[in-house]
Amino acid sequence: MKVMVCLKQVPHQDARLDVNADGTWIQEDNIKFEINSYDTYAVEEALKLKDAGSADEVIVVSIGPDRVTQALRTALGMGADRAIHVNDDAAAGADALATAKILAAVAKEEGADLVFAGLMADDDNASAIPPMVAELLGFPSATGVLATDFSGDAVKVERELEGGALEVVELPKPCLIAIQSGANQVRYASLKGIMQAKKKPVDVKSLADLGVADSASAAQNKTKINKIYVPPKGDSAEILSGSTDEVVGQLVTKIKELGLL
Amino acid sequence: MGTVLVVAEIQKGAIREASFELVAAAQGIDGAEVNGLVIGSGVGDLANEFASKGAGKTYVVDDAAAENYNVDVWSKAIKAAAEASGADLILISNTPTGWDVAPRIAAGLDCAFTSDCIKASAGDGGYDFVRRVFNGKLDAEVSTTGKTVATMQPGAMAPFEGSSDGGTEALSADLSAGARFVEIKVAESTGVDLTKADVIVSGGRGVGDPEKFPEVIQPLADALGGAMGASRPVVDAGWLDHPYQVGSSGQIVAPKLYIAAGISGAIQHLVGMKASNFIVAINKDPDAPIFEVADVGVVADLFDIIPALTEAVGGAKG
Repeated sequence: MKVMVCLKQVPHQDARLDVNADGTWIQEDNIKFEINSYDTYAVEEALKLKDAGSADEVIVVSIGPDRVTQALRTALGMGADRAIHVNDDAAAGADALATAKILAAVAKEEGADLVFAGLMADDDNASAIPPMVAELLGFPSATGVLATDFSGDAVKVERELEGGALEVVELPKPCLIAIQSGANQVRYASLKGIMQAKKKPVDVKSLADLGVADSASAAQNKTKINKIYVPPKGDSAEILSGSTDEVVGQLVTKIKELGLL
Repeated sequence: MGTVLVVAEIQKGAIREASFELVAAAQGIDGAEVNGLVIGSGVGDLANEFASKGAGKTYVVDDAAAENYNVDVWSKAIKAAAEASGADLILISNTPTGWDVAPRIAAGLDCAFTSDCIKASAGDGGYDFVRRVFNGKLDAEVSTTGKTVATMQPGAMAPFEGSSDGGTEALSADLSAGARFVEIKVAESTGVDLTKADVIVSGGRGVGDPEKFPEVIQPLADALGGAMGASRPVVDAGWLDHPYQVGSSGQIVAPKLYIAAGISGAIQHLVGMKASNFIVAINKDPDAPIFEVADVGVVADLFDIIPALTEAVGGAKG
């Protein structure tokens, strides 16, 4: 079974978020990037299948500029077999559907039997890509998945609903599974793994290589970000100031007023 | 432009409040004709209700195959209703159902998609939306071209309270499915019940270390006679078990006092605690979204404040 994992490289969760010059995204120079947290759980889920002997090959795929190589190398260091890096200026700023078309083209070219992705990305919080890729491939899909069971012919998954409820769904293969955060304990890339990863192949591809230059470039976007900004302050908190003792004193007074002391 | 299809979600046998919020979003779009869709089995009465409470003409896919949510069934039913109504905007709630099905529909229709929006309006050749990005730290203004599928954040606007008399129309569609519903599992109850606590002291990623929960967070909760909680990343990392999680996928709480320490305030956490009577947020980052819902904020290292507060609370009790 050939397993593909979709990866996105996103600004580090603690990165400073300054809006860029044209006000449409954040300033990406001089900030640290990392693998989208949800995607790390997806990589782990794929590697567990490989450890169990169910997956023959785990391929990680990412779209983006040169810096994305680092995310792919990290996943290779964790144990993925090979990587595909779609590095094409025409894909920069591609909307969700264009991005999904690129990923679906890779999955088709590779003949993936199973596609894993993270439920959403930590930067745009869109949770758009995985079901789109599934639809474009004609695969059944499930999102928000916290547990998988590959013991039968169909894959049995548990999707997280609200308030702690789970929905159990069976998906015939080939299928796509979008993993929810917390689904597993993500392994780190070991030193040995990182050394081995240097020898593993990273195929760099353009949109033309994948046959989607006309359909999936950012120029085809149907959805566009016009402006991003710090949300207007609403009824925000009264910020307490002073020394630690003074602040603590004010808090104790508030707690007393609530009748809790 | 201007025909909106609002997809209802049914929860515990009733149309959920978030669906009436979608109606409000649709009704708020200048010049829009609003149509509803109800999917399920034995849902005729609910479709009548939706049609009369603002959703306008409401399509109903009433089929045994739709008794439980199924992504393929919903996707086909929504596409059929979009075609029948000539909708150029399909609105779905950003719930586990919405994020599962909405992008599939957009890809199937090869149309624009945006999710988790807090505002929707008519645009130039499409629609304009406002949505949160970077876990609520920034807002984005998004515009779409042509036919659009969008999900709206539950709780972002008040439910529609007007009426309409659109009537219903039964719709049949090929509802064959690849995915198969098996069952709903409800988590077994555990000893931890945050919903009954008067005081909750919750820690987030900013606590930084699993040992600090029993060492720093729990003692303050104990001193206040309350319970300890956590945000999702803490539970995801395995530092605390799921029953401690406050948020849309964990416990929805409303204590008299909620202290959020080292919690930035991702939307899913805010949904779970913003009904608390009094909220204190302690965070080093002055721009953390948690300060938007807190009554009182302290911009400081929680390790300076919490132990001192624990001691002061102990002293005040004498």
